[in-house]
Amino acid sequence: MKNETIITIKNLVKRYPEGDTEFTALQDINLEFCRGEFAGVVGPSGSGKTTLLNIIGSLDSPTAGSVHVLGHEIGSLSHRESAALRNKDIGFIFQVYNLLPVYTVFENVEFALMLQKIKASERKKAVMQALEWVGLADKHKKKVTKLSGGEGQRVAIARAMVKRPALVIADEPTANLDAANAHAILKMMKKLNTELNTTFLFSTHDEKVMTYLDRIIHLEDGKLIKDDIQSPKEYSL
Amino acid sequence: MKLAIQLAYRNLMGAGLKTWLNVGILAFTFLLIVFYNGFMDGWNAQAMRDSVAYEFGEGHYYHKDYDPKDPFSIKDGHGIIQVDNLTNVVPILIRQGSVYPDGRMMPVLLKGIPAKQSILDLPTSYLQSDEETIPAIIGKRFAKASRIQEGDDVTIRWRDQNGSFDAVTIHIAKVFDCDVPTVDAGQIWLPLYPFRSLTGLDYQSSMFVINKEFDREQYPDWNYKSQEELLKPLKMVVDSKKAGGSIMYVLLLGIALLAIFDTQVLSIFRRQKEIGTYVSLGMTRSQVVKLFTVEGAMYSIMAVIAAIIVGVPLFYLISQSGITIPQSSQTTSLSISEVVYPKFTLSLIATMILLVVLAATMVSYLPSRKIAKMDPVQALKGKIQ
Repeated sequence: MKNETIITIKNLVKRYPEGDTEFTALQDINLEFCRGEFAGVVGPSGSGKTTLLNIIGSLDSPTAGSVHVLGHEIGSLSHRESAALRNKDIGFIFQVYNLLPVYTVFENVEFALMLQKIKASERKKAVMQALEWVGLADKHKKKVTKLSGGEGQRVAIARAMVKRPALVIADEPTANLDAANAHAILKMMKKLNTELNTTFLFSTHDEKVMTYLDRIIHLEDGKLIKDDIQSPKEYSL
Repeated sequence: MKLAIQLAYRNLMGAGLKTWLNVGILAFTFLLIVFYNGFMDGWNAQAMRDSVAYEFGEGHYYHKDYDPKDPFSIKDGHGIIQVDNLTNVVPILIRQGSVYPDGRMMPVLLKGIPAKQSILDLPTSYLQSDEETIPAIIGKRFAKASRIQEGDDVTIRWRDQNGSFDAVTIHIAKVFDCDVPTVDAGQIWLPLYPFRSLTGLDYQSSMFVINKEFDREQYPDWNYKSQEELLKPLKMVVDSKKAGGSIMYVLLLGIALLAIFDTQVLSIFRRQKEIGTYVSLGMTRSQVVKLFTVEGAMYSIMAVIAAIIVGVPLFYLISQSGITIPQSSQTTSLSISEVVYPKFTLSLIATMILLVVLAATMVSYLPSRKIAKMDPVQALKGKIQ
């Protein structure tokens, strides 16, 4: 299953209107990702990293070309279908965590499962397990506003992982963390990647993140510059 | 819907003070609207009940030349009632006159009514007397205005059918307590038969009041006005007062709804990252719109619950003890008792609940529609202006 292709991008172009003209955010991108990959898209600001991940995550749609994610053609999905894809198969981790501020840790993680209409008892079990993965089971009743940055991002990871998605998209997940927390978070994600065979796609320009990645895709001005497969490293997971 | 309710409840509870402020304002408005309407309904019911009991009966027959709104018609507006059975009617003879309490002169309406009538609640039994002095009854308003007390003897004067002045001393046998000003203010009630003799108008009446048993056939010289027609002006006055008063609670409701609308509009911009997160977690846009609408509607439901908790015991107490009306309000020409018992009916409460919930839902839905047009990527970045 490790070599099963779950994302296929062909001739992807993304343009945004900019006044009377158009700005090309992505140009002629061709990529494939397999199940269980721990890959990152790197490049300077404005290179198109986030745009690429947003399209893969079905939050945005391509202007031209095709993007297939887990058998779904992103460009042809309706709002409802893309919402269902995100709900079941894609987890998101954001730079600023994007936790729901009025909810507790438990409620934040539980949210995606509520959308899937899973029974309360099953939800509780799954949420507690996800919180165990990130080491926050003892803080499940705390309001997320009372957590530190590192803890907040761990809640975000638990929220992304609780539904056991095939794909996790992490947009600059360590940008707001100090070095120690960033390493802890990355090790946690690598561990989940190994144990659950979940594909992780990062967008980053953080050197720390790059050292953990198996594959680095370089973007510049919306163009694919380099696609590097890195040799596996030894981590104390 | 269950999910939207669960999440909306969590969001509102999580928002803390902001939620309770909105709920508090809306609950206060709701209570005020129910109270005001209950008060007006209670007043209306009391006014109608008293008007029927003291003045209207089941309807009036006026002599064709008598118009209650035209004082010039009193002189010639009288005739003989051609009815077989007088037990179902109360004939009343009306004349203009003056009263002289302590040497002062006050214009009055002199009304002759049978002492033994039982259709109206006026205490006409006090008009029966074996003594030489003619007994009379007056209402509390007139007693206060004229400073005449029970037991006083006062002189009244009138013109007889030939236009000659005549006068007699009457004895105030009773000052009655009645909340219908139109049988009280400026009026002296006298026993019909002696009054007819005094005025030289034997067998004559200006009008007669009927009861339910009265057979309402056509009487050529008499104009019929049903109870409903007679109550119409009173209803109109109460309705117009209700409408006037409703401006206050429409304003209050407007402020409360504006607070919700404002909260919702601000929420959509302030919570755009949250909306983007909802979408990224797999909510459809219509689910997010529904969530925000339910949140707004839930304010009103929570307000209704809060209002019921406070309002039920409070309104029960008020409806039992009544509301004392200041003396100044009782001197108006409207029928209003010293104590008004508000009437809080289920239909009134249900209508108000529906009004508040529907209005709150509507003002929540309107701004929430914008969410459907939101770009989730821009929302996640918090860049929507």
